[in-house]
Amino acid sequence: MYSEDITKAMASGGIAVGDTVSVKGGNISVEGELMPKTEAGNDGTLIIKLKSGYNIGIVFGEGVSISRVSARSAPAAFPFTKPKANTRLPNVTVLWTGGTIGSKIDYRTGGVYMTVKPEELLYYVPELSGIANISINHLFGTSSEDLTHLEWQKIAEETAKAINGGARGVVITHGTDTMHYTASALGFMLKNLNAPVVLTGSQRSSDRGSSDAFLNLTCAMHLAAKSDVAEVGICMHASSSDDRLSFIRGVKARKMHTSRRDAFRPINDRPLAMVRHNGDISYTNQYRRVAQGRSPEVEVSGKFEPKVALIKAYPGSEPGVIDYYTGKGYRGIIIEGTGLGHTPVSIEHEGRSWLPYIKRAVDGGAVVGMTSQCLYGRVHRNVYKNLRLLSNAGVVYCEDMLPETAYVKLGWLLGNYSGDRAAELLCRNVAGEINERVSIDEFLD
Amino acid sequence: MQNDKGGADDAAEYKKIGFMCGLEIHQRLATATKLFCSCPTAIPEQAEKPLQTVYRYQRAVAGELGDIDRSAEFEELRNRKFVYEVHDRNACLVELDEEPPHELNNEALMVALAFAKAMKMRVVDELQPMRKEVVDGSDPSAFQRTMMVGLDGRISTGGYEISIPSMFLEEESCGIVSSTEDTITYDTGRLGIPLVEIDTDPYIPTPKAAKMIALYLGTMLRISGVVQRGIGSIRQDVNVSIRGGARVEIKGLQDLDRLDKFIENEVLRQQRLLEIKDALVGARASVGEPADITDIMNGSKVRIVASHLEKGGVALAFGLKGFAGLLGREVNPQRRLGTEISDYAKMARVNGIIHTDEDMKAYGFEASDLARIRHRVGAGEGDSLVIVAGARADAERAAKLAAERAKYALVGVPLETRGAINSDLCVTRFLRPLPSGSRMYPETDAKPVLVSAQMIKAASENAPDIERERKWLESKVHGKAVAEQLLLSPKLQMYKNIVKSAGADSEFVANILVQKFTELRRGGYEVEAIDEGRLAAMFSAYGAGRITKQGVDELLKEMAKGEAGVDDLIESKGLARISGVKLRGLVESARGKAGAGAGVDQLRGEIMSRHRLNVDGAELNAMLSDLAKGAK
Repeated sequence: MYSEDITKAMASGGIAVGDTVSVKGGNISVEGELMPKTEAGNDGTLIIKLKSGYNIGIVFGEGVSISRVSARSAPAAFPFTKPKANTRLPNVTVLWTGGTIGSKIDYRTGGVYMTVKPEELLYYVPELSGIANISINHLFGTSSEDLTHLEWQKIAEETAKAINGGARGVVITHGTDTMHYTASALGFMLKNLNAPVVLTGSQRSSDRGSSDAFLNLTCAMHLAAKSDVAEVGICMHASSSDDRLSFIRGVKARKMHTSRRDAFRPINDRPLAMVRHNGDISYTNQYRRVAQGRSPEVEVSGKFEPKVALIKAYPGSEPGVIDYYTGKGYRGIIIEGTGLGHTPVSIEHEGRSWLPYIKRAVDGGAVVGMTSQCLYGRVHRNVYKNLRLLSNAGVVYCEDMLPETAYVKLGWLLGNYSGDRAAELLCRNVAGEINERVSIDEFLD
Repeated sequence: MQNDKGGADDAAEYKKIGFMCGLEIHQRLATATKLFCSCPTAIPEQAEKPLQTVYRYQRAVAGELGDIDRSAEFEELRNRKFVYEVHDRNACLVELDEEPPHELNNEALMVALAFAKAMKMRVVDELQPMRKEVVDGSDPSAFQRTMMVGLDGRISTGGYEISIPSMFLEEESCGIVSSTEDTITYDTGRLGIPLVEIDTDPYIPTPKAAKMIALYLGTMLRISGVVQRGIGSIRQDVNVSIRGGARVEIKGLQDLDRLDKFIENEVLRQQRLLEIKDALVGARASVGEPADITDIMNGSKVRIVASHLEKGGVALAFGLKGFAGLLGREVNPQRRLGTEISDYAKMARVNGIIHTDEDMKAYGFEASDLARIRHRVGAGEGDSLVIVAGARADAERAAKLAAERAKYALVGVPLETRGAINSDLCVTRFLRPLPSGSRMYPETDAKPVLVSAQMIKAASENAPDIERERKWLESKVHGKAVAEQLLLSPKLQMYKNIVKSAGADSEFVANILVQKFTELRRGGYEVEAIDEGRLAAMFSAYGAGRITKQGVDELLKEMAKGEAGVDDLIESKGLARISGVKLRGLVESARGKAGAGAGVDQLRGEIMSRHRLNVDGAELNAMLSDLAKGAK
């Protein structure tokens, strides 16, 4: 928003953002298009787009005046490309949920908005129409940090509906930040899954020529249209190059980099498959296969207990945080412990031991699960005395499960089962989230 | 229009033809780090093996107005793979488009502001970083970060008063390592180095004036002492048009000395294209649609076509009515209309075109085949043909592009970005259509920068001032011509460094760097290859009396031959100066041999004939004249 002074001057001159204006009286006198003010920069600076395309900022100070030269012109309509029906190709439903892949820049303001229309993507990536017969379902346009279990439920329902309605596979476009949470949720919620469900996104918005969205979508489409993986997974770049993409089991995937294209990595697991940019798929892990012939319909077991927390233990951490959550009626807590699954337990530092707090929570009926902030590797309840103390207090050790997956799983378990049953199932494999064996090559690169 | 006059007559001639000319000067800054990240700006040695290579594809995306920029689309048409070489110390995730930009480099900003003040510009109150779309792969992000720093400047030189409408601070692009039909390999080392772009208005009156102004701006940038030196560190792009022609941007000019020749040739090219246009319009010329002639060419003796057909490719042709003789018409030295059309076809990965203004027999065409091709494309007996061959998709695109270009010959001069072919001919070739204006949008990852009054004050104090520099030089160097040459020379900064550090006479250093260098260069010695470090060591040795003036000459010749250091050469080539007691010894020994009656001249001759490089003439003269006095 522009400052009050500028807003007033605009009102009195009948000026709207987008109009061609003349700015006089200051250090610089120019004519150009008045741009909207974004959060960046000083609100007392007029942003003017010159004919050359450059924006410049002119401080609206003493003696500066602004007047309208001509009204804004309507922006050109975007050349939409409607999906072409091709009955010889497999049917794939695209569920559109927002995120960077579903956003584009507003060229006038420079802001990135969730405004991209699904059809625009077919204009950018026309080759998608050659892979599958695509129908696009625009669910929402939300940044992934704002998604909750309510959206997970909706996506699960729409996925089941699409597959039961004849889709060969489903592609879900999603913001990357929490894509692995959604993928985990779908992994638990979808029963009798008999089709590939492929989440994809992008780390660079699709308005730039270098966006990873194009290749990510293309390869996700290949997987949904051709692969026989009956699981939920994430398909994104496997390296910084536009070379191979990995298809990672959703419950074992994690975003491991803030900005790189190849941010998603399988943790304590191998990718299910690798997809080359030409669409060739090679399988690299055991997976649940699409059954041949008739199969039962996909069902959604979508209930979810939102009163589950994910907290981190660290040197000097405050154990009272557990009381805080149980005080608010939370029924489950996943701890991201140190190393093999520790929290501070020493009585030498008064008030720093988590043990009494955990004991109290468990005794009160909450399920407390332990994962590791190492991410790689398995937690263990016996190696050290301190681990045994926690285990004896009732902490459930979650094997090689990722903290985020454990959080989603516990919410799902508590939504569908009793507390005791949830505690039992938390450390048992339900949807591929726990690997009994972790092999030597499943650690970094 | 090609004459050597540089004066008012010339200007009048150019005015008559509606000559318009503007310059864009791009200069890399010698800041510690890059514009938007903390990588150093020093460019790695070519020999260093890259730490990693990354490859990407890019595609044209819709611009601000929803339309895809024609030049961007053109690049995508080529569908190329871009390989980026990454050197450990010179590129980080920011260059690779894997991390958002960091804060704007303040050092670079201050340098840019100083240049703005030197050109009396109005500095933008709040700088707005923008993204300028680039789809030739030279930036992994597919855009260049750039911001306008100043407006409405002016410079005056050689009697010309030229406006500088705008100056920008931006990121340098990647350097090309190699390029094949479908892959371009780039070095990310120089990507993101701060660059200033200075644009003049389009009213430079003559090609010679353009050269003079480019020289002036280059000097202004250089005397600041904060710009990179060496090949590629400064680039001059020229925009040229004449009445009835079109704006053409020439990129990649490396040799400022020949800037005017390139401009003259572009004027000539536009004139010739306009003549061709008149001839075509007069002849009611037209261009037909491309048709497949693979079946006709199967089994043909035309090697350059057959080689594609053998690999499963196709041949296409289209007819051109009224073009006979004009396809072969020269528009620039050794470049014909056919060459211009061929350059377009090459964008679609074919080797070029064959046309009937060439010797079709020499290619191996049978008259009967040509007749069948004419029939196929609906061309008459006197009509011309253009033939392309290649893989189907490539050949089809190539034929389409070539036909489009041929049709444009009836309209006139296409708006183009052209690349200088750096040979003695001073001609250019088509690179891509001139970009339209719709490829700029705000870089929201980087914050706008408010320019404070303090920053402006500091910039004014640091603004490079050619007059002040000239005066300083004239105080150091008595020969005005040498001082002026040094001022305009890329060696100026080196001169200042050496004078400061070496303790050698400033006049002597100037004479060596300007006159002696020219003399030795003409003599075939590669003196320009001698780096500053060795030169400084040489002048130090001279300043400390370890070598003579003649020794300096000899040392330069030896250093030009290789990498050997100064001390090693003084030792191995026996260049150490003989003076004082040792010199007296030489004199005594010469006198002993020549006898007591020997004259001063005889002794001097005797000693210098053997020790010309080691003995300082003045010292010897003084010694001999003392001796003569003593003898009296």
